[in-house]
Amino acid sequence: MTTEVTQVTVEELATLMKKAAGVTVDPRDLERRADAPFADFGLDSLGLLGIVGELENRYGRALPTDAERCKSPRAFLDVVNGALATGA
Amino acid sequence: MNGSGSGIRTRRTAVTGIGVVAPNGLHADTYWKSVKEGASVLDRITREGCEHLPLRVAGEVRGFDPSALIEETFLVQTDLFTHFALAAADAALQDAGLTKAAAVADSPYSVGVVTAAGSGGGEFGQRELQKLWGQGSRFVGPYQSIAWFYAASTGQISIRSGFKGPCGVVASDEAGGLDAVAHAARVVERGTDVVVVGAAEAPLAPYSMVCQLGYPELSTDEDPATAYRPFTSAARGFVPAEGGAVLIVEEADRAHRRGAVVRATVAGHAATFTGASHWDQSREGLAHAIHGALDEAGCAPEEIDVVFADAMGVPEADRAEALALVDALGRHGTRVPVTAPKTGIGRSYCGAPLLDIAAAVLAMEHGQIPPTPNVFDICHQIDLVTATARPAELRTALVLSRGLMGSNAALVLRRGPGSTA
Repeated sequence: MTTEVTQVTVEELATLMKKAAGVTVDPRDLERRADAPFADFGLDSLGLLGIVGELENRYGRALPTDAERCKSPRAFLDVVNGALATGA
Repeated sequence: MNGSGSGIRTRRTAVTGIGVVAPNGLHADTYWKSVKEGASVLDRITREGCEHLPLRVAGEVRGFDPSALIEETFLVQTDLFTHFALAAADAALQDAGLTKAAAVADSPYSVGVVTAAGSGGGEFGQRELQKLWGQGSRFVGPYQSIAWFYAASTGQISIRSGFKGPCGVVASDEAGGLDAVAHAARVVERGTDVVVVGAAEAPLAPYSMVCQLGYPELSTDEDPATAYRPFTSAARGFVPAEGGAVLIVEEADRAHRRGAVVRATVAGHAATFTGASHWDQSREGLAHAIHGALDEAGCAPEEIDVVFADAMGVPEADRAEALALVDALGRHGTRVPVTAPKTGIGRSYCGAPLLDIAAAVLAMEHGQIPPTPNVFDICHQIDLVTATARPAELRTALVLSRGLMGSNAALVLRRGPGSTA
């Protein structure tokens, strides 16, 4: 059995922001400003909730409730990837 | 309008901008041209997924491209009915000579938003409910929580433009379109500088259409030329439509000071309720509403130069409206010119009275009473304008509206001094 660690990348987050909330953002910009609030990119709380839903469907598992409360891309990816890595 | 009832009018509410998204025009100018010419754009419904439904004729808004007018972040979280409202609000602001920045220059709290809505975002709601039953609750997008709500358009206009003044949604049936304008006028009287007020609906999607099939007043005639012919012996119900209009209303003196053209003033309004499908009782309800609107406007019946009728297209309802005009206006009720441009575009529920207000303001400005398309042989004692527009000096217009659930409303508009400038 493989124990491949699944990680959501900044590029994937940018794609999800577009799909779930109509927000167009350059992944490089998202990476550079990873600590800026999601609101600065035009993403609202319902948009982030939609991204959480997309990821939960993709990986077939629930993510921590903290995920939808994250304020910045870095915080969000840390929570999501932490959960995916530990399999929690 | 005088919200206090004291009889002393300190703040008058002016209409300074009109934005239209209608089956016969995506701009107020094209809308008026079509209305004045008495063109009918009623047609067979072409919307995908609706072909098999026993409602065949409607007024579809065609050629409307939301993505060219509205940012994607707003598009993904809104239904078509809100797209119409956002586009009409933009057009109304532009028509009023107000950029969003200028509108909130003094304070974002100086601009409010009021809309009326009858059904909300049916198409968006259907899509998400299909995900719910087709894939499961985890596949329903979070924006479902706001997009199909009938308050969505008020909220999104407010958010998109940064208008933080008093906001509201009037849910009082089709006549709520008039009630919303009256509410906006009261907001202005109470001190808010500008209110963006309107209504637009998008009832031509499968789920939304099925919801309407139970209305006994709905015309299922398959011929666009005969489907909606109020005030005739061939009346067989009404035809639904998409779209609506948004107005900019503001305190009249303020409008003068900033150099805006006062297109009209909102002079009086009243509303009553007589129950769903009790069309015979709507006679008394409508007459009472007209009385109330005239009283508030300080307007004698003879001052009414034109009536924009509700024109339900149901024989009992048409009779009730014709009789209500006489009940409320006396002999003038049989002599005053009456028109119903909506027979050429259909009834867009709460959007319909807004489109009638737009037509009334434009009619007063142009000195032309637009005709009632597809209607020729009147079987009631009213002077219905048919076939071609009738030139007339129009100072005061009465707009009437009724809803299928029993609301009746009347609104009196006075021509603005700016319309001759």
